Amino acid sequence: MQRLYGVWGGMMRKNKLDKSKLLALGDRFRIYILFGVIFIFMSLFAPRFFNSYNLTTILRTVSMNATIALGFTIVMICGEMDLSIGRTATFAAVIALTLQKKFGYGISVPIAVLAGAGVGLLNGILVAKIKINSFIVTIGTMTILQGATYTITGGNSVSLSGDKVFAISDFLAKPLLPMLPPRVLLTILFVVVFHLFVSNSQWGRNFYMVGGNRTTAWLAGINTDRITITAFILSSTMAAVAGILFAMESSAATLNMGDNSLMYVVSATIIGGTAMSGGKGGILRSVVAVLSLEMLYTGTILFGFGNEVKIFISGLILALVVLYEAYASYKHEKTIGQRAVLLEELAQAKEKI
Amino acid sequence: MNGIQKVDTRALQTNRFSKLLSSIGIYAIAALFIVLGVVLQSMGIINNFLTTQNMMNIVDAVALLGIVAVGMAFITYSGHYADLSAPTTIALTGIVSVELLRFGFIPAIMGAVVVGLIIGIINGIVIGKFKANPIIWTLAMSYVSMGVIRFVWVNKQIYPDVITDDPFPVMLFDNIYRFRFFNAISLPLIIMLVLVVVGQFILKRTAFGAQLKLTGSAKRTAKFSGINVELMIALAFIISAFTTTIAGLAITSLSRVGAYYNGAGYDFRAVTAIVIGGMTLAGGRGSIIGVLGGTLVIGLMNNIMTLLGVGTFSQDIIRGAIFILVVGINAKTLRSMGRDDA
Amino acid sequence: MKKQVKVVLLAMVLLCLGGLLFAQGEKAVGVTGAGAAANLEASLKVDTSVLKAADGQPLLRLSSELPKIPTRPANPEALPDTDPLRWFDMEYAGWDTKKTNIPASPKDGAIGKRVVMIVHGDHPWTTACSNGAKKVADAYGMDLKILSPNWDLAVQNQMIDQSINERPDMILIIPLDATTAIQQARRINQSGIPFIFFNTLPTAEAMNYAITWTGPDDFGQMRKLAKVFADEMRRRNPGAKELGIAYVQHAPGGSPYFARSYGPLSELAGYAPEVVTLDMQAPGFEADRTMQLVSDWLTRFGPRLKGIFAADDSAQALGIIEALKKAGRDDIVVVAAGNSKIGMDMVTDGSLFAITYQTAEGDGALAVQTAADWFNGKELPNRRDIPQHIITKADVADFYPPQW
Repeated sequence: MQRLYGVWGGMMRKNKLDKSKLLALGDRFRIYILFGVIFIFMSLFAPRFFNSYNLTTILRTVSMNATIALGFTIVMICGEMDLSIGRTATFAAVIALTLQKKFGYGISVPIAVLAGAGVGLLNGILVAKIKINSFIVTIGTMTILQGATYTITGGNSVSLSGDKVFAISDFLAKPLLPMLPPRVLLTILFVVVFHLFVSNSQWGRNFYMVGGNRTTAWLAGINTDRITITAFILSSTMAAVAGILFAMESSAATLNMGDNSLMYVVSATIIGGTAMSGGKGGILRSVVAVLSLEMLYTGTILFGFGNEVKIFISGLILALVVLYEAYASYKHEKTIGQRAVLLEELAQAKEKI
Repeated sequence: MNGIQKVDTRALQTNRFSKLLSSIGIYAIAALFIVLGVVLQSMGIINNFLTTQNMMNIVDAVALLGIVAVGMAFITYSGHYADLSAPTTIALTGIVSVELLRFGFIPAIMGAVVVGLIIGIINGIVIGKFKANPIIWTLAMSYVSMGVIRFVWVNKQIYPDVITDDPFPVMLFDNIYRFRFFNAISLPLIIMLVLVVVGQFILKRTAFGAQLKLTGSAKRTAKFSGINVELMIALAFIISAFTTTIAGLAITSLSRVGAYYNGAGYDFRAVTAIVIGGMTLAGGRGSIIGVLGGTLVIGLMNNIMTLLGVGTFSQDIIRGAIFILVVGINAKTLRSMGRDDA
Repeated sequence: MKKQVKVVLLAMVLLCLGGLLFAQGEKAVGVTGAGAAANLEASLKVDTSVLKAADGQPLLRLSSELPKIPTRPANPEALPDTDPLRWFDMEYAGWDTKKTNIPASPKDGAIGKRVVMIVHGDHPWTTACSNGAKKVADAYGMDLKILSPNWDLAVQNQMIDQSINERPDMILIIPLDATTAIQQARRINQSGIPFIFFNTLPTAEAMNYAITWTGPDDFGQMRKLAKVFADEMRRRNPGAKELGIAYVQHAPGGSPYFARSYGPLSELAGYAPEVVTLDMQAPGFEADRTMQLVSDWLTRFGPRLKGIFAADDSAQALGIIEALKKAGRDDIVVVAAGNSKIGMDMVTDGSLFAITYQTAEGDGALAVQTAADWFNGKELPNRRDIPQHIITKADVADFYPPQW
């Protein structure tokens, strides 16, 4: 925010709108602008979009992927990839419900969360200690988790019934505050905690350091391996939590409930501005991106379009974002080291002071 | 990439043994599986493992995967991970070829190749020239082409013999997958072997291959030594799209239907084959012969598990565990030999 | 950065307030009095029995034979897989339910009613199913809206919520999963909107909240197919003491996974005890993977393998037939569940022995017809099954052109 005022101040002083600075501003707040545009457009034009019932529905639907995105973003900031998030969500959900029958949620949920964390620990150790590429490791754990999930359930989905179970489901789904059911409130709590953790703590800064330049981070005395492992544990744990909450709300877990989340969360995180090369991005941006995509999808349904439109639009937005970022860095690379650029950077630095 | 860059003298010793090991590494694993099969056979646990028929079944079953993997290996070799748009490329080229079958067999094939190459060229330009992240871009590409398929063909599956009344092109199309030389060796198998030989030659014996290696292992150095890095990367993506198109034609011919769901799963399966085959995602390492070995190991593994009667669920667990194990061992040996600092 | 959090929180609070202010649900518009009676009379006159599906078969067919429902064993899951009663909860779900909070029929006729149909996902089958549904809806002049969640459970839940928000006269839904259907059913039930499940059978508990269920009886159909399968194997191998078979299963996680392997398995245990199950595998719906699986089976079992039961008559059946052709084994009997063009072509040329009749158009049509019957005030049974039929070479010609 401080920097934002700096840019504004600079523009005021010059007393004219500086195009490049406006662009820079738009770039920094790209995802928030996208969010606003989609929200206003849908509210104005999509039938039955802007009412409390529909907005509650959107918030409830978004809860799962937003929760998964929290941990996944941290892995991305570290410059790694976690393809096992979707299957981890399913795996944990299945464990939670299967054990509930014997022990109740009080015991089954912590065990399921721990199981999720265990997946992350395994991923993290394989990536950081054995030094296998995370893309490869998580393809492997993805396959293993699928087999494990099938083995636990015997190929059937798991369901619970009974008044107590339904009471929990209903509690999670019914708005406690206007538009905010407990499941959404929990998600908001997670978002705030993760955001503060990543942007305000030393640990959080370390994720950026490791993702930005591992060697420098190591030289700066950061235990890079430990940071990487932590990132993977957080990612799997949040995926597990998301899966468990979804299953608790529906009192059932299916064997492919998390499969669609993988590509959804990956796309949203990228659109939100977290780079795959690491060291860049933020929790809030990913969450807002998930929310924006969800509003867009809801809009396409409300307008009565088919899935082809939904797939096409998500591809188009993703492609545009990737193209724009690639083009920006391409231009930056072309002009890097040139005198004019140096002068401009110097001027900007002066303004900030 | 990690720690302080210091010259590791071990890397400079061109040890004949280490060279041999790194090139035949995957075949040692394949041999291990075959020995395992033979031992199990001699113990009477499985039967008919070491027969010509069974070996033919194994290579037949992985021929399509091999075709995709050989092309995609060029992308991995250039240091650009993988092409996640492969499944939709398979679906799109397949459905286009069936649609064009009404104009005859040759137009159908040409149409599919043109569509495949367009996808490859777009991928190549965006990733090569503008340096977009390969995984995310090909993911976006797959969304867009899936949207196009769904938009144009509205969830329909189209059949060759419904598209045209002329039985001749339908018969030809049906035989892309089904034709057998001497009634034994299938056409996809021949195509895969030809692609392996040509691919290995290009990678190891041509200037393009050498330049691609440098591009993959040290992009900046490659650029400053005058290599057209952008072109190299673009070509890798075009080659991948081309072999994927061939696989798309064969898969569509096998399933006798052009539909949006054809080819699902071929992206990760191809990556698995490539990486088991000894190519590292860091780029510039491995060979096409190795990729062939990786493909064969996958076939062998599936074969032995089915012969043993391992259930579907346990197969997944074993497959994933072996995958991580093989790649882990590979990474560890490379590092201990000082040939890889990743 | 802290300010960003505040801004977002503030935005959320504003959103809540705004949502409250603008909260509005559309109210259902009903016809009352004399208009209702006239509408009912006109609706009852509509004749949908003349409608035809794309394959030339009648669009709407109801099973005339009522199934004999056995008594439920105390704990079906404790029984062995080969006992038909082991699958009681999946097979007979819905016949005996305690209906809860079911709205009463307005008895004001089906004409002009707003109906939302939520299917499971995009597929050529779904397109045919929607076409069938549209034919009946057009006959009644109903306003039919079809939503497809593209196989995503979260999206299907969302679509249910959106439909409730829209307050249609009726919701028709294919549950994506038998077990999650309970919560979906409770949700719609609490909103007071009448709804009907179709195509996929949910668990018995979910059926408590629905008016009824319509669709194919997968278990029953598979039991029929299993008998035809065993008869043909006996014919080809007279006097054989052992008939080895293998199952190519559906994807795990849904009822077809069980109906299409354990249905025939438990049926054959009683009907043809000489049939021995050699292996069961779920290779997915790809021809090349199924081909490898079957080739490996041929290596493993050799002449012991006499028959293959497949869960899908297109990609899976193609893979099986390719593997058999390669090995030159035309003695093996192959049957498959499904009714696709590829399957029918293979039945015609004799490589596939039998498939099941599964009218996609009829499935959608029956759901809409049942909705219409409810508006017209007819008494509805707890389940409405589509008649079962096994297609062999003898009558396959009657089912061309294929629906999808």
